[in-house]
Amino acid sequence: MASVKENIDKETIEQVKKIDVQEYKYGFETKIESDKAPRGLSEDIVRFISAKKNEPEWMLNWRLEAYRRWLTMDEPKWAKLRYPKIDFNEIYFYAAPKSASAPKSLDEVDPELLRTYEKLGIPLSEQAVLAGVEGAKVAVDAVFDSVSVVTTFREELAKSGIIFCSISEAIKEHPELIKKYLASVVPITDNYYSTLNCAVFTDGSFVYIPKGVRCPMELSTYFRINEKNTGQFERTLIIAEEGSYVSYLEGCTAPMRDENQLHAAVVELIALDDAEIKYSTVQNWYPGNKEGKGGIYNFVTKRGDCRGKNSKISWTQVETGSAITWKYPSCILRGDNSRGEFYSIAISNGYQQIDSGTKMIHLGKNSSSRIISKGIAAGFSDNTYRGLVSAHNRAKGARNFTQCDSLLIGDKCGAHTVPYIEAKNASIVFEHEATTSKISDEQLFYCQQRGLDEEEAVALIVNGFVRDVIQHLPMEFMVETQKLINISLEGSVG
Amino acid sequence: MAVRLKASEKILYNALIKAEAQNIADEFLQSGLPNRKNESYHYSDLKLLLDNIPDILENGEFSSEPEFNIAGAYNIFINNGRVEIAKKLPKDVEIGTISGTVFTPENDIVAKLNSALSKESLQLEIKGNLENIIYIEHRSNGQASFINDNIEIELLANANAIIIEIFTSSNNSHLSNHASRINLAENSNLTHIVLDLSAKENRHLYTLTYEVEKEARLNSLIIHKGANLARTQLFAKFVGENSHADFSGLTLAESEQHSDISINISHAVANTSSSENYKSVVRDRAKGIFQGKILVERDAQKIDAKMMHKGLMLSDDAQILVKPELEIYADDVICGHGATCGELDKDSLFYLMSRGIAYETARAMLIKAFLAEIFDFVENKNIHEILQKLIDDWLN
Repeated sequence: MASVKENIDKETIEQVKKIDVQEYKYGFETKIESDKAPRGLSEDIVRFISAKKNEPEWMLNWRLEAYRRWLTMDEPKWAKLRYPKIDFNEIYFYAAPKSASAPKSLDEVDPELLRTYEKLGIPLSEQAVLAGVEGAKVAVDAVFDSVSVVTTFREELAKSGIIFCSISEAIKEHPELIKKYLASVVPITDNYYSTLNCAVFTDGSFVYIPKGVRCPMELSTYFRINEKNTGQFERTLIIAEEGSYVSYLEGCTAPMRDENQLHAAVVELIALDDAEIKYSTVQNWYPGNKEGKGGIYNFVTKRGDCRGKNSKISWTQVETGSAITWKYPSCILRGDNSRGEFYSIAISNGYQQIDSGTKMIHLGKNSSSRIISKGIAAGFSDNTYRGLVSAHNRAKGARNFTQCDSLLIGDKCGAHTVPYIEAKNASIVFEHEATTSKISDEQLFYCQQRGLDEEEAVALIVNGFVRDVIQHLPMEFMVETQKLINISLEGSVG
Repeated sequence: MAVRLKASEKILYNALIKAEAQNIADEFLQSGLPNRKNESYHYSDLKLLLDNIPDILENGEFSSEPEFNIAGAYNIFINNGRVEIAKKLPKDVEIGTISGTVFTPENDIVAKLNSALSKESLQLEIKGNLENIIYIEHRSNGQASFINDNIEIELLANANAIIIEIFTSSNNSHLSNHASRINLAENSNLTHIVLDLSAKENRHLYTLTYEVEKEARLNSLIIHKGANLARTQLFAKFVGENSHADFSGLTLAESEQHSDISINISHAVANTSSSENYKSVVRDRAKGIFQGKILVERDAQKIDAKMMHKGLMLSDDAQILVKPELEIYADDVICGHGATCGELDKDSLFYLMSRGIAYETARAMLIKAFLAEIFDFVENKNIHEILQKLIDDWLN
C-alpha cells in the first residue's frame, strides 16, 4: 500500500486540494499602461503595425499582400467547434506596454512586467532558474501582448553563434534569413488564420542554430495576453542548420475575462540535414469560467519541415487552456530517413472545445513518424483528435505508428477521433490504434481498496494514462505539467 | 446560394424535374453532387467522378437464370429497376411492389436521387424462420442506362433469414443507384450479404440502411469487386437494447477502380454492441477507400464497439485511403478502432518460399489467408463456395 501511495506525486494532490474548483491561477491582470492601435482591421492597421515595428518596405508589402489575400478567404468550418462569428472589427490588433520600447538590459524593463513574469514563475533574470529545477539554464523570450519585452541569455548564446531574439529584431538584423525562410513552411495563403497572422503578426521568437551546434540550454518563449479586447498574433521561426540541435519550450497564459480573445499564431520549424528540433508547448490560456463565458480562442498553425535527410522534428504539447483550441502541429517529412513525432495531452473541462491533432506528410524515403495522443474530456467539453498520416508515392518505406486514446470523465462530455490515413505506395507500413473509454470501476476500486481516496485514485490513473507523453517533455515542464493536469480535472470527479 | 451545375448535374436535375420531385430538385440545385468538401465524400468526389450520365432506360435482354444457382433459393430479379419474381415465395414472406419509394432516406443527396427516381420499390415482409435463402439479383442490361431501384425489407419479430443481394451488369457504362432499407424487429436474426460483381464499365452507388431493434442480431457483409466506381454507404442504427451486429466487408480493386465503402454506425440506445471488420486489397492503380464512423449518442451507456480496417497493397501505384472515426458522447463505453496498411509481410513470404513454395503461390496463399477471415462466419456452404471462388478468380 505504501509503495502505491509513494508513486503519486504527493505535492500534486496537495496542489489540487489547495485550489478551488476550476480556479485559474494565472488569471490576474497586470495594470500597465499600454499603447494600442485603433480597434479593427484595415490596410491602415497593417501599415500601423509595420511602422510601429520600423519594418523595411519589403516586409510591409509582404504583409499587405497577405491582408488582401485574407479578405478573399473564408473561415474554416470543418472542425467540430461551435462559436459565434468572430468580429474582427472589435479586436485591437496591436497593444504594447508603453514602457517596453527596446530595453537594453533587464534593468531597464518595467518592474511591473518583471513582477508579472515572476508571478507566473518565469525567471527573466539570468541568475534565476525555473522553479523546482536546479542547475538548469533556460533562455526566455517574453512576449507581452503584442511585443517581446525581453530575451535573456542572448550574449551567452551568441558565443556559439546562436541567434535568439524577437522576430521583429530578426527582420531588421537578419533580413537574408527571414527572406529565405519566413513562410517557406506555412505559405502565406495556407489557411484563414495563418494568412491573417501574416498580415498582422506583431512579435514572436526567432531562433537560428548554426551548423553543427548543439544548443547549450533550453530556449523558451512565454506568451502573455494582458490587455482587454486584444488579439495576439505571434510568429515563431526556428531554423536548425545541418547537424544542429535545439529544444524549445513555449508557455502561454492570460487573465480571466468575460470576453473571448483571439490568439492566432504561426510557428514554422526548419530542420536541415541531420538536425533535430524538439518543440514543447504547455498551453494554458484562460479557458473561460464555469458557465463557458470568456476564454481564449486559440487558432494556431504550427508546422515543421524536415527538409534535410536524417532530420527530426518532435512536437510535444500539453493543451489544458483556451475556450477553443484549433491546432494541428504537423511535420512535412521531406528528407530521406527523416522523422516526425507528435506527443499530445489535450485536457478539456467546463465548456472547452478542443479540435487538435497533427499531420505527418511523408515525402522522403524511409521517413518515419509516431503519434501518441491522449485526450481527456470532462465536464461539458468536447475533445476531438483530428490527424492525417499520408505517404506520397515516392515515400518508399515510410513508417507510421499512431495511438490515440481518449478518456471520458462524466456523461456530459464528448470525445472524438477523426484520423485520415492515406497510403499511396505499397512499401509503407501504417498502424493506427484508437480507444475511448472511461476510468474503469475496477481500476478505481483497486486503488481505493488500497487506501487512496477517489480524487487521489483518479489522479494516479490519469497520470498513468498520460505518462507516455509526459516523459517526452523537458524536465522543466514535467513537474509543472503534472500539476496542471490535476488542476484541470479538479471538480470533474463524481 | 445555388451552386453552378456541371453538365452531368444538369442531366440529374432535369431527371428530377421530369420525375416531378420538385423538392429534391430544389435541394439538388442548392447542393449539386457531393464533392470532397462534404466530409462523407472526402475521398469520393462525385462532382468530379460522375460524368456521362445516361438516360433512364428500361429495355434490355434478361435471362431467366440467376448468376448463381443456390439450391432452394427464392430468386428475385430486379431488371433495370423493374421487379420480377421468378418463383413463388413461401408463406412466411409477404412480397409486393410499390410504385416509387416509401421510405425517407438518410439526409444524403445520392439517396434522395434514388428515392425520387426509382419507379418501383420491392417490399418484403418476413416472419418466422426461413429455411431457404432469399436471393435478389439486380441487373443492369442493354444500352448504358441510369438505373434507380430500391428495396424495403421488414423482418418481423422473431424472424430469421439469410438474404443475398448480387449486382451484375452488361459491359456498358451504366450508372446504377441502389438503395435498401432493412428493419430488424425484436429478436429477429438476419444475415445479409451484398456482392457487387458488375462490369468494370459500370458505376455503382448503393445506400444501405439498417435499423436494429431490441435483441435483434445482424450479420452484414459487403463485397466490392466490380464497377469502375463503386460506393456503398451504410447507415446502421441501434434503436433497441441488447441488440448486436457484426459488420464486415471486402474491397478487391484493380486497374483504375475506385472502390469506397463508407459506414456510419449509430448506437442510439444503451447496451448495444457492434463489431466492424473490413479489409481492402488493391493493385495496379486502384483506390481502396474505407470510411467508418461509430457514433455513441448521449446517455447510450454500456456500448461496446470495435472497428478494424486492414489494407493490403499489392502494387506501388495503388492507394488506400482510410478514415475511421469515433464520435462518443457517453462515458461508460469501450470503443476503439484500428487501421493498418502495408504490403505482404516479407518474412512470411520468405518462410513459405524457403520451404519450396513458389513466389506466386506463396503470395496467393498469404492473400487468401488475409481475406478468408472476413467471410469465415458464413455457414451456408453454397454461399461460402461462391465467395471463395470470387476471391480465387480475382487472384488468378
